[in-house]
Amino acid sequence: MFPQINTYMLLVQKFSFVLGSILYLLFAFIVVKQTTMMSKHVNDKFNTILITFAYLHVAFSIFLVFLTLVIL
Amino acid sequence: MPRVSDVDTIAPDDQITSTPTPNPVRKSIALKKEKKVAKTPDVVPTLPVTPNTNPLVESVYKILGHTTHPLSSLLIHPHVFDFQERDDDEVVLLVARQHWFTNVRWVLISLFMVFVPSLFRFVPTLLNIPAAYMFVGYLFWYLITFAYAFESFLSWYFNVYIITSKRVIDIDFNNLLTKKYSEATIDAIQDVTSAVIGAIPTVFNYGNVLIQTAAEVNELEFGRVANPEKIIKVLQEIRDQYKGGKI
Repeated sequence: MFPQINTYMLLVQKFSFVLGSILYLLFAFIVVKQTTMMSKHVNDKFNTILITFAYLHVAFSIFLVFLTLVIL
Repeated sequence: MPRVSDVDTIAPDDQITSTPTPNPVRKSIALKKEKKVAKTPDVVPTLPVTPNTNPLVESVYKILGHTTHPLSSLLIHPHVFDFQERDDDEVVLLVARQHWFTNVRWVLISLFMVFVPSLFRFVPTLLNIPAAYMFVGYLFWYLITFAYAFESFLSWYFNVYIITSKRVIDIDFNNLLTKKYSEATIDAIQDVTSAVIGAIPTVFNYGNVLIQTAAEVNELEFGRVANPEKIIKVLQEIRDQYKGGKI
């Protein structure tokens, strides 16, 4: 009985990780949208760096989704 | 017959054909002298100074000095900075962001979040979680930490108060996709006050600048900006020059 519970728990965990990472990916895209929009309105020295960081954030978020689907 | 080259053995009327060999020591001294001369020319060249003909910019420089760092909370007449609504003949005199000390809170929280995973080893129940889950969990945690720090920085960086030769502007990005833009022309400014409240703002000299206007927006607030008294001086100077017809 206990091994079955453990399996269910792991499934629930995996499902929540996948859901969480997908939601996080959406959030990362919103951050990119936000950064580009802000950069359009206010143009300063570090805008390019900030946009680069936003895209890197998206890349890591995609990697996270990939990990949750493959590793877990 | 070759002519005598030895100076000691020549007759007084003998013609000297050889040139004296240069003394290496003297040569080096001569070189040093040349170098010295090159270092201290008679006329000291002056640096090409491009005088700023705009009297407003000059007066802002007089009040606030020059910007020392591109991430400074006060950018005086920045050359790179621009904003979407700027007119072609409009000069950006001052860009103010919140004082750097206002960032300390989120920086400390972010640092704490970075070190939180190292505390997991002291929680026995977490040790039973499979390694793969732990790895994904760590990655998730650090991404959230980064997002928090990044969002906080964006909020500081893009919330700007701008004083131009024509108007005063407040650009706020309250949350992810909300932009608030308020402006008042220089002639609409009626009253300007500042408030430095609390121990830390007094120590670091930052506070709020309230600008009462006759424009559609009754009041503009520059929140937690550095040197609020000097910003008021700048605004007064611009108003005076505007009334004097200089701008």
